[in-house]
Amino acid sequence: MSVDTANPPMEAVASTGGNKDLATRALIVGLVGLGIALIGLMQGWRAGDSRPMLGWMIGVSYWLTMGIGMLFLLMILYVFDAGWSVIVRRQLEHALSGFKWVGLIFLPLIALSFFYPQNDAVPWIWMDPANITPGGEPVGGDILHQKKSGFLNVGFFTFRTIFYFAVWIGLAGILRRCSFTMEKDGDPKWARLAHNVSAVGIYLCALCATFAAVDWFKSLEYHWFSTMYGVWFFAESMRAGLAGTMVLCWILATRGYLKGIYNRYHSYLLACLMLAFTVFWAYISFSQYFLIYNANIPEETFWYNIREMNFDGTKNSWWWVSMGLVFAHFLFPFLYLLWYHNKFDRRALFIAVWILVFHSLDIYWNILPGQIPSDENILGFVVRPFVPHWVDFFTWLGVGGICVWSFILSSRKVKHIPIRDPRIVESLNAHE
Amino acid sequence: MRALHMGTITNRNVLFNFERPPNRNMSKTYGLIATFGNTHSLYQAAEEICEAGFRHWDVYSPFPVHGLEGAMGLPRSKVPTFTLIGGVTGFITGMLIAWYMGEFDFPLVVGGKPYFSPIFPFPVAYEMTILLASFGAFFGMFITNRLPRHHHPVMDFKKWPGITDDQFLILLEARDEKFDLDETRKFLETLKSLEVVELKE
Repeated sequence: MSVDTANPPMEAVASTGGNKDLATRALIVGLVGLGIALIGLMQGWRAGDSRPMLGWMIGVSYWLTMGIGMLFLLMILYVFDAGWSVIVRRQLEHALSGFKWVGLIFLPLIALSFFYPQNDAVPWIWMDPANITPGGEPVGGDILHQKKSGFLNVGFFTFRTIFYFAVWIGLAGILRRCSFTMEKDGDPKWARLAHNVSAVGIYLCALCATFAAVDWFKSLEYHWFSTMYGVWFFAESMRAGLAGTMVLCWILATRGYLKGIYNRYHSYLLACLMLAFTVFWAYISFSQYFLIYNANIPEETFWYNIREMNFDGTKNSWWWVSMGLVFAHFLFPFLYLLWYHNKFDRRALFIAVWILVFHSLDIYWNILPGQIPSDENILGFVVRPFVPHWVDFFTWLGVGGICVWSFILSSRKVKHIPIRDPRIVESLNAHE
Repeated sequence: MRALHMGTITNRNVLFNFERPPNRNMSKTYGLIATFGNTHSLYQAAEEICEAGFRHWDVYSPFPVHGLEGAMGLPRSKVPTFTLIGGVTGFITGMLIAWYMGEFDFPLVVGGKPYFSPIFPFPVAYEMTILLASFGAFFGMFITNRLPRHHHPVMDFKKWPGITDDQFLILLEARDEKFDLDETRKFLETLKSLEVVELKE
């Protein structure tokens, strides 16, 4: 590779004008999408149907996991004093400005469940002791819930969720403040402070992400338990965060302000991280499956059984989703990213978009299948099938619009790359 | 080496044969060595030699010079191919072992599982993948570098030890089709080299 000294167009660095038109359009898309989804949510609420609420959770989780991944990535880059990533880091900081809005959009789920846990639309069935579990027993008489109720009760659940968001929004805010203040006074002490905050923040964020995954997703089937679940959530978040970063940088480098700044080497390293976390995701997802498969205990295996077959052993719709995850969410990106030439330009963009598409499938697979009590068969429940709902789509669209709007708004406030960062020259000249 | 063992001579010049008398057989030209004083002239020279179309030549430097492989026009390393072949072989081997043992050699029901399924022997196949992929990378590196090799004619060059310190060399081998002793010497002298020395074999 040739030694190409980056020659950033200075007017692009100096100006801080974002695309006003695009920001407005993104905000309109966001508000309209959320408005339509909210109608669906209210309809479901009145009818006692939990599917729209799950759809809302799926739509928000898609972007929330991406944000958590980006927050982790930001802190990891700080902790390792990474030099190459300084110009990418600023884009992460802008993207994290959307965290508070995502938190606000998540709020209806928590508020409705907190005030009206008896409503049948609440997806977490343990919230109401009168709810019937598969088999006909009410939650209140279920020993497995009684033993867990010290942790799994509505008050503590709501408090925890607020705490997670406080930690995420707080960490994102502190790290943004450090970086943006350094832009003004040029004092490298802000880089050291961000480094130290990240060192503590990684632990905090890891704990919050783990417990959030347990609370929101795993407790949908509160009988089930797996110590790998939080790690899965982290791995999936990192994959979504890295793929989102790759797409973001590609857009900014081809038609935005990173033209001539974001180079091949930045793309190469992001793609290497994507490969690493693709392997990591497969490793922990398979480990979880493998241990439960080998132990073969009914308390654990049912969670995979409902994702594979109907009561009579025939394959249900989730089996195809599972195969999609194995082959399209792992095997294809893994083999594709092994090739050096696939880590640049459009080829890297392609796999990033691919991962983001199948990211939605993984979110569906973890949230949606559930046991709905029924007398139809001998098991006493039917599995909620894999059928996308329009609330999923409009929530996804709405949160996405809000995130894009928030990004553009934040990118107008400071310079597009942190030109006073101690490692900015290293990042601009990054090469193999 | 014998002198070293006896502990009488510690001068490294002896170790590196600085003053070695010319070998009786040293008559054939192995190549031409050009020395350089800094990386800039070295880098430019590498680019020009690459452009001139030489194929059998190499650059010696005390430290990695970023981007030099690009200036030399080197293709990407072949080692990943060895790694991939090793990995795929390992995966298939691991699965075949479990399949053969479970289905034919010693069929045994364990925990109600089938004789063979790709799921329970996955750790075996996975470990074999990693093992043989690492072997592929390790031996692939040796094969593509033609190692082990204990001696190379360039080590006879009297300033050779300097390439671990402050010397930059380019060696053009005589076996190259474009090599011509006088012409190539003139060409190398135009490349801001400090000196051009003929290397005998």
